[in-house]
Amino acid sequence: MKPLDPRLLGYARAARAFLAAGALIGLAQTACIVGFAWFLSQVIVRAIDGQSLSELAPMIAALAGVVVARAVLLWIAEVTSTRGAARVKSQLRSRVLAAITKLGPGWMADRNATSVATVTGPGLDALDTYFSRYLPQLILTAIATPIVVLVIFLQDWPSALGVVLTLPIIPVFMILIGWATQTVQKKQWHLLNALSTSFLDVVGGLATLTLFGRAARQAERIRVVTEQYRVQTMKVLRVSFLSGFVLELVSSLAVAVVAVSVGLRLIDGSLGLSVGLFVLLLAPEAFLPLRQVGTQFHAAADGVAAADDVFEIIDAASARGAEAGTAAQSAPGRPSAGALVLTGFGAAYDDQPVVGPIDAEFPTGSFTAITGPSGVGKSTLVAALLGFIGHTGAVTLGGRAIEAGATGLDWISWCGQRPGLLAGSVFENVTLGSRAPDRELAARALGVAAADELELDRMLGVAGAGVSGGQAQRISIARAVYRALERTSAVLVLDEPSSALDELSESRLVDGLRLLSATTTLTLIVVTHREAVARAADSILSLEPAAMAA
Amino acid sequence: MRTTEILHLAQPSARRFAPGALLGLLSALCAVGLLATSAYLITRAAEMPPILYLNMAIVGVRAFALGRAGFRYADRLASHDAAFRTLATLRVGIYERLVPLAPDGLAGTRRGDLLTRLTADVDELQNLPLRVVQPLLISGAVAVASVVTVWILLPAAGIALLVALLLAALVGTAANSLIAARSERSIAPLRGAFADEVLDTVVNLDVLTAFDATDERLAAVERADARLTRAVLSSAAGSGVATGILSLLAGAASVAALLMGIPALGSSGFDGPVLAIIALVPIAVFEVISSVPLAMPALRQVRSSAERIGSAVPDDVPPEIPLDRPTSAIATVDASNAVIELRGVSASWPQESSPAIRGIDLTVSPGDRILVTGASGSGKTTLAHVLVRFLEFEGSYRLGGVDVRSLPLAEVRRTIGLSEQTPYLFDESIRQNLLFARDDASDDDLIAVLERVGLTEWVERRGGLDARVGERGSLVSGGQAQRIALARALLADFPVLVLDEPTANVDPGRADALLRDLLSASADPDGRRAVVIISHLPVPAELITGRLRLG
Repeated sequence: MKPLDPRLLGYARAARAFLAAGALIGLAQTACIVGFAWFLSQVIVRAIDGQSLSELAPMIAALAGVVVARAVLLWIAEVTSTRGAARVKSQLRSRVLAAITKLGPGWMADRNATSVATVTGPGLDALDTYFSRYLPQLILTAIATPIVVLVIFLQDWPSALGVVLTLPIIPVFMILIGWATQTVQKKQWHLLNALSTSFLDVVGGLATLTLFGRAARQAERIRVVTEQYRVQTMKVLRVSFLSGFVLELVSSLAVAVVAVSVGLRLIDGSLGLSVGLFVLLLAPEAFLPLRQVGTQFHAAADGVAAADDVFEIIDAASARGAEAGTAAQSAPGRPSAGALVLTGFGAAYDDQPVVGPIDAEFPTGSFTAITGPSGVGKSTLVAALLGFIGHTGAVTLGGRAIEAGATGLDWISWCGQRPGLLAGSVFENVTLGSRAPDRELAARALGVAAADELELDRMLGVAGAGVSGGQAQRISIARAVYRALERTSAVLVLDEPSSALDELSESRLVDGLRLLSATTTLTLIVVTHREAVARAADSILSLEPAAMAA
Repeated sequence: MRTTEILHLAQPSARRFAPGALLGLLSALCAVGLLATSAYLITRAAEMPPILYLNMAIVGVRAFALGRAGFRYADRLASHDAAFRTLATLRVGIYERLVPLAPDGLAGTRRGDLLTRLTADVDELQNLPLRVVQPLLISGAVAVASVVTVWILLPAAGIALLVALLLAALVGTAANSLIAARSERSIAPLRGAFADEVLDTVVNLDVLTAFDATDERLAAVERADARLTRAVLSSAAGSGVATGILSLLAGAASVAALLMGIPALGSSGFDGPVLAIIALVPIAVFEVISSVPLAMPALRQVRSSAERIGSAVPDDVPPEIPLDRPTSAIATVDASNAVIELRGVSASWPQESSPAIRGIDLTVSPGDRILVTGASGSGKTTLAHVLVRFLEFEGSYRLGGVDVRSLPLAEVRRTIGLSEQTPYLFDESIRQNLLFARDDASDDDLIAVLERVGLTEWVERRGGLDARVGERGSLVSGGQAQRIALARALLADFPVLVLDEPTANVDPGRADALLRDLLSASADPDGRRAVVIISHLPVPAELITGRLRLG
């Protein structure tokens, strides 16, 4: 793991400001560390030499001043890191979201949407600890440790030598122990993983276990597995806790070594008490930041991993940048009517055809059902027509070529297999993307989709929570119908519009679609498996696996 | 379950907890001792006494240095070991409370991932001894020991240290909980709203792109982000206040020790080395108690985990969940005569006011194939859960001529099997996922049943019975999961089988074929098995013998 990824500075300008502020604060903090040790040792030594409280008052006041400054600096450091983390996260989020929309649905299709959302949303919160605990200590290590060692060196070089010789032991041992831990973990990774998920598995499958009369006897299994889990985990912990052990041992031994060597040299008079006490107070401070970095290592690793996931997406988008830009630009003027003709049309990933090619003609105002066995690639062809993925061959509408792939064109409206509803009212969902939402038209669209029992003002939760699967599907159909009517699209594509509907709703939807087809010039293309829908169409385009093999 | 009861389960017994706590205390005392002895050693050495007088101090410094690291290592091992040992008791304790309630008596189970969160919450409770109880105990003990030592050396300085420590505990805790409460109030909802906006955007990227709504949507996300960031920035001034105060009080304790110690110099038994000790000890003590502010957020997290568990596991079994209190002398149902008769059956879910089904009449005789249809929300799954006695009912439900309430729950479930809408697959091999239905089944039996549900080829492609199905069945499609679930049910050889929406999570293109396959596979050779199938898809008339429409 890199302690500080340069991309973080590149992608989030706030990170640079944070580092600069951190360096300034670190410098001031170092001054406080040295000042505190200096004034404290001076006051003690002078008091022992017989100076009275009133003589020492200015010095004690200075010590108190350092104490206050130290506390204020700690507070400022925390405030800066909280603000820095918030700013950096905000900048990274807006960049990564822009990157995701640029990469588009074709890219998303290969990924688990929830995990992408986690990476962009809550996942980035791992950066909080990274900024508030790890980075400041890293900066402090870079600033305070050398300065403190230098000060010790100027006061008493043998002590500085002791510190300099022991300091490198920490990172060296941390690395060695890190390797050892990894080896132990790797050896039993599968075992540990299986043991740790086993409780989840039993509880998750509780209903199933109850059905088969096996629930009661799982208690013993949980006990045994948890016990095994303890034994195996302790094996790993015995090694991984060694790193903490080394950190503490080296720093406290260094203090002991300095104390004893200073003490012995004080006895023979080769060193003064003021120097000795000062050095004793400074010695642990040379180790403290490094120790903190060590203990925050895991938090930091999480933060770096979270940022890494985000950088990957941003990098993928900038790599894609050039090509995607030109495709959208070359869109021709808007043809609004005419027959849709596909010639040698197929779906392609990276110019490699994956489905098709097919030739097909959809006359103006026609109602076509596309059928064919599952897996033949119907939805993939639709995705290519919408431009989510690349395509081969040509698409013409009313004789004019259309760059399929130019999304955002009004000529085509679409409803996918997944409802894809958003939080908000039914009205907001139906009029998605509309510049001037129209209630009357929305009500008409709901009617076509056999969803007129739904109130326009009914509120839906995240992902359309609050309506049944069938209702969600009908709302999403209404949304596509609304867009087609509002923008007078030439083509409306519905992908499996009745998969979640019972027979009654399905037949009402079919009636709505037939009426729509009869009263407008809209070319209707419906991908379906359901006989009732296919029967209602003017013609059926059946895609067979043999014909689809390119 | 009450929160205190859960927390009690999470805390190791005193006998298990003591070794780790003692070792931790020794380590903390060594840390204070190291600084105190070092200061004493140096200031005493400056008086140039014979080295003999310093031998004890020199040995002490070295011993404390070794002890601090050594005891700490032993402490972490001992306390983690104790926490893991307690985890077994904790998991079993919670599990045993879950069993009589599962699945429908656990509040919120209809919302889905409750159980997964529950296990994470149970494991979170480990932090109670590790991050809360032990640091607090050790800090308290070290604070007391240091105050007493300093008090013996110079009573006024001891009292000053006590005041500083008490203030640190009070102010630190108060500042922490104030800030946490504020962020809970103002930031947490904004964070949740932002996460929802992001999820909506990312999941629906295809829809947003197709409807030209990405820009509009990004603007909405940006607004949510701006609100969140503004709230974080404006409350940032609160963060670090506790740390700052702690550092301030540590320094103040040292300064106070000097102010009181310097005039006392020269009085009996109070000399330079003692002054150094009372001035330096506060530094080490405050370093030890700096773990206290971290214990507070840990405690809050543990508490909220315990509360979530408590709210998911009701104190008493709700009336909607059947109790296992068989009254009949007849403890078995004759498999060949397992007739189901429902008359005027109503049922409701716990914590819901109106019944989900009302006045259902249904007779299922051996060999019947009943199709249950109805709009979503009409209570199809409720009916299935009543049949297998997950849910209590009103009305009359007789099985094999006997009132079902008089039968043991296990006996009802031996007679009536349910293949769930979303079958749970265990993170095990295919063999293990089948065997728990009938543990004496041979490999040949398993292969035969896989053949019946049409999975032979699939299993071969995966590499045989030992192939894993992946975490929570992640490597298995919806249709295959249904087939595995049916294979399990066939192995268990239930006289009556309920299939709940087998095509709910199945690609529409494969749904019809799957439905046919499942229905024909579920028939047994002599045609005695009865099947109740719940489906929103039309089922060919020749495959069923009767229908029930709900809603």
